[in-house]
Amino acid sequence: MGLGLLASRALRSSRIFTSPVSRNAIVRTIVSTPELQNPEASAAAQSPPEDLPIRTPVAGARVEFTNPDDAIEVFVDGYPVKIPKGMTVLQACELAGVDIPRFCYHSRLSIAGNCRMCLVEVEKSPKPVASCAMPALPGMKIKTDTPIAKKAREGVMEFLLMNHPLDCPICDQGGECDLQDQSMAFGSDRGRFTEMKRSVVDKNLGPLVKTVMTRCIQCTRCVRFATEVAGVQDLGMLGRGSGEEIGTYVEKLMTSELSGNVIDICPVGALTSKPFAFKARNWELKGTESIDVTDAVGSNIRIDSRGPEVMRILPRLNEDINEEWISDKTRFFYDGLKRQRLNDPMIRGADGRFKAVSWRDALAVVAEVIHQVKPEEIVGVAGQLSDAESMMALKDFLNKMGSNNIWCEGNGMHPNADLRSGYLLNNGISGLEKADVFLLVGTQPRVEAAMVNARIRKTVRETHAKVGYIGPPTDFNYDYQHLGTGPQTLTEIAEGRHPFYSALSNAKNPVIIVGAGIFERNDKDAIFSVVETIAKKGNIIRPDWNGLNVLLLNAAQAASLDLGLVPESEHSIESAKFVYLMGADDVSLEKVPSDAFVVYQGHHGDQSVYRANVILPAAAFTEKEGTYVNAEGCAQQTLPAVPTVGDARDDWKIIRALSEVAGVRLPYDTLGAIRNRIRTVAPNLLHMDERQPATFSALLKPESGNKTSSTPFGTAVENFYMTNSITRASKIMAQCTAMLLKK
Amino acid sequence: MASVLKGALKSIRERGLGNFLRELREEGYLSCLADGNLLQTKIHNIGATLVGVDKFGNKYYEKLGETQYGRHRWVEYALKDRYNASQVPAEWHGWLHFITDHTGDELLMLKPKRYGVEHKENLSGEGDEYIYHSKGHSLNPGQRDWTRYRAWEPTKP
Repeated sequence: MGLGLLASRALRSSRIFTSPVSRNAIVRTIVSTPELQNPEASAAAQSPPEDLPIRTPVAGARVEFTNPDDAIEVFVDGYPVKIPKGMTVLQACELAGVDIPRFCYHSRLSIAGNCRMCLVEVEKSPKPVASCAMPALPGMKIKTDTPIAKKAREGVMEFLLMNHPLDCPICDQGGECDLQDQSMAFGSDRGRFTEMKRSVVDKNLGPLVKTVMTRCIQCTRCVRFATEVAGVQDLGMLGRGSGEEIGTYVEKLMTSELSGNVIDICPVGALTSKPFAFKARNWELKGTESIDVTDAVGSNIRIDSRGPEVMRILPRLNEDINEEWISDKTRFFYDGLKRQRLNDPMIRGADGRFKAVSWRDALAVVAEVIHQVKPEEIVGVAGQLSDAESMMALKDFLNKMGSNNIWCEGNGMHPNADLRSGYLLNNGISGLEKADVFLLVGTQPRVEAAMVNARIRKTVRETHAKVGYIGPPTDFNYDYQHLGTGPQTLTEIAEGRHPFYSALSNAKNPVIIVGAGIFERNDKDAIFSVVETIAKKGNIIRPDWNGLNVLLLNAAQAASLDLGLVPESEHSIESAKFVYLMGADDVSLEKVPSDAFVVYQGHHGDQSVYRANVILPAAAFTEKEGTYVNAEGCAQQTLPAVPTVGDARDDWKIIRALSEVAGVRLPYDTLGAIRNRIRTVAPNLLHMDERQPATFSALLKPESGNKTSSTPFGTAVENFYMTNSITRASKIMAQCTAMLLKK
Repeated sequence: MASVLKGALKSIRERGLGNFLRELREEGYLSCLADGNLLQTKIHNIGATLVGVDKFGNKYYEKLGETQYGRHRWVEYALKDRYNASQVPAEWHGWLHFITDHTGDELLMLKPKRYGVEHKENLSGEGDEYIYHSKGHSLNPGQRDWTRYRAWEPTKP
């Protein structure tokens, strides 16, 4: 024992006799508010003030009383608050406007109650209670600001920091870390532990999630997320006491399409983004609220950029679409935006090589060629990432040139653009939660629309809804019945011969989801009429419930059908002399005649560029303002987060300039003017962030006499990680494909 | 003076007139006529001791005795037409400026092997290509690439 320690002991013992509490003493106790240790002082602090200042609920928390009898009243710091029965103390505090510190509690996950950070004092309770796990009882008097609650938090924080490394300067979570913030707000200014900190071996969770397990505070949010939301049993807790570790039970990668969300969920820096590791600090980034275009869900995202570079993509809260999750493809494909970019207009010379030219020359060549071909030989194809404004401009331009052969890839050659209910998710994504029976026809929502799949999983988990699936064998993360692989099974259900028919007809809110992969089939109309027969018989389409849904694949599909991008003739591409590809990379170009002139307008050098004669560089979705309609019919907008690369321009501006060079000037010069034009075609595209459901149901359609073929349904998305030109250019997506899709 | 003439005649006899003239030009005797500074150095050199020659070819002379103190060490630059003080390498600088009595050849042994860089003369005013430009400068040939994307290369067929 050192001399100094002896001296301090002597001082402390003498202090007890001299003055009760002195802040100027050399040695202070660990509690940062020692005067509140005094019983009289804390009693004075407890007495509620006469007139309470008004408090607003935390983060706009609201409560709906389904049954007024269920309402109970509790008091939080003296404020009376009415809550429904069954709410926890923590939720009651949030409604009363008190933000309780927490680590393990997450409103979308089950309650664990193991971090103890949310301790509050409840009157007549001998000990502080964990508010996240404690149901509120009528008349409960909750105190969140008393010395006991404060001391409890301080003590919990001290224990949490006991084994937490002091590596905030090299930690990627630094600046957005819950532990950092809460230790500043609720922690003590010193700790008493002088022992060595424990260390934990890092786990390999795959190419997306980086782990530094020494930082883990065992809140088990990631374990609960993986089992409850993602539906994979990969993560778990091993060991007891200080040997407790989060990990995969055996050496295994985390194979979920939602695994990136554990990065957001982790309150400390134990799980961070591997591609983003050591790239930037969160306070250097500029956030732009935008929309994801990699699938038809239209997840709300925030694009974090630094200068001309997209650094990362995070989810944005939208209860109707993606809640607060996004898929791994959405989160990690952004490095594709920096590779394989088209940055100069190019013309293929006589020797077959591309030469960079000026915009003036490139547009002049295209305008010259388009006047040399017959109007019916002009074909336009919009790509799966096109925004509504540029599709409108392309359609107007080609119509002025006399052609009406223009469509969006993925819609097939006979798209049903007449009835909106024929191509939308009529229930809405959040409406799927009310369903009790699902019939998935030729769709694998887990790879086609991961966020829709998460909703179905949530429903199945909560209400034990039945899921029937018709299609090729595939991987589901919830219980399902594999009914068959082809249209025959569908016919059997329609004729009532299949056992699943009784489940469907007895259900209160049945849902049929038809995959957009069927659009490419020749017997598409016949399949749809069989599905409509099922809908009629099973009472699936009612005034209050339209359970016949179509799940689209691409971000541009719904808007293109709203705008009426329908090809005039089926075989137009075989006889085309002039093909205008607006970012269309998945259209098969083998059928295009070899003497046809192909213009590729897009942002990535992907598959179609190699057939192009002229390349016009355009802006990617992170670089332009554009309207997209998602699968449920909700129009949303992207906003430019970073500047365009090189000499690239916005899609609609290129077409507008081309129309002027070609002598058929389009009558709009601004985005607002194009939107005015869209208003005359599809006014629903202008109602931003608002779901515009279909007005007429599919039952109005006459039945088609075609026969269904016996070909089984195919898979629409072969590789979840690579579906469009940006994701195909991404290195991270290539790594995911190599490591996670290994069979 | 006579000995100088005698030496010149001797070398003409030994190596021929052409070689002698070339040597005259290379040693800067011809530029002496236009460059008084060089001429003065050459006259100074007569009777001085050559202390050393550095790796650039600069010759370092010393003459003790009748020269004025402070003017008893000097350099004759290797380049006769374009010379300046920055051509003196660091190891000779101390000797030349009376900081030390150790010659550059002796001090060269102290030069650090691992990180000692080669002496470079100051080329200011000689043109942009000779001047040092920082990493971000647009005239630096090895400047950092600030583009944050990689363009598609139209090389494949």
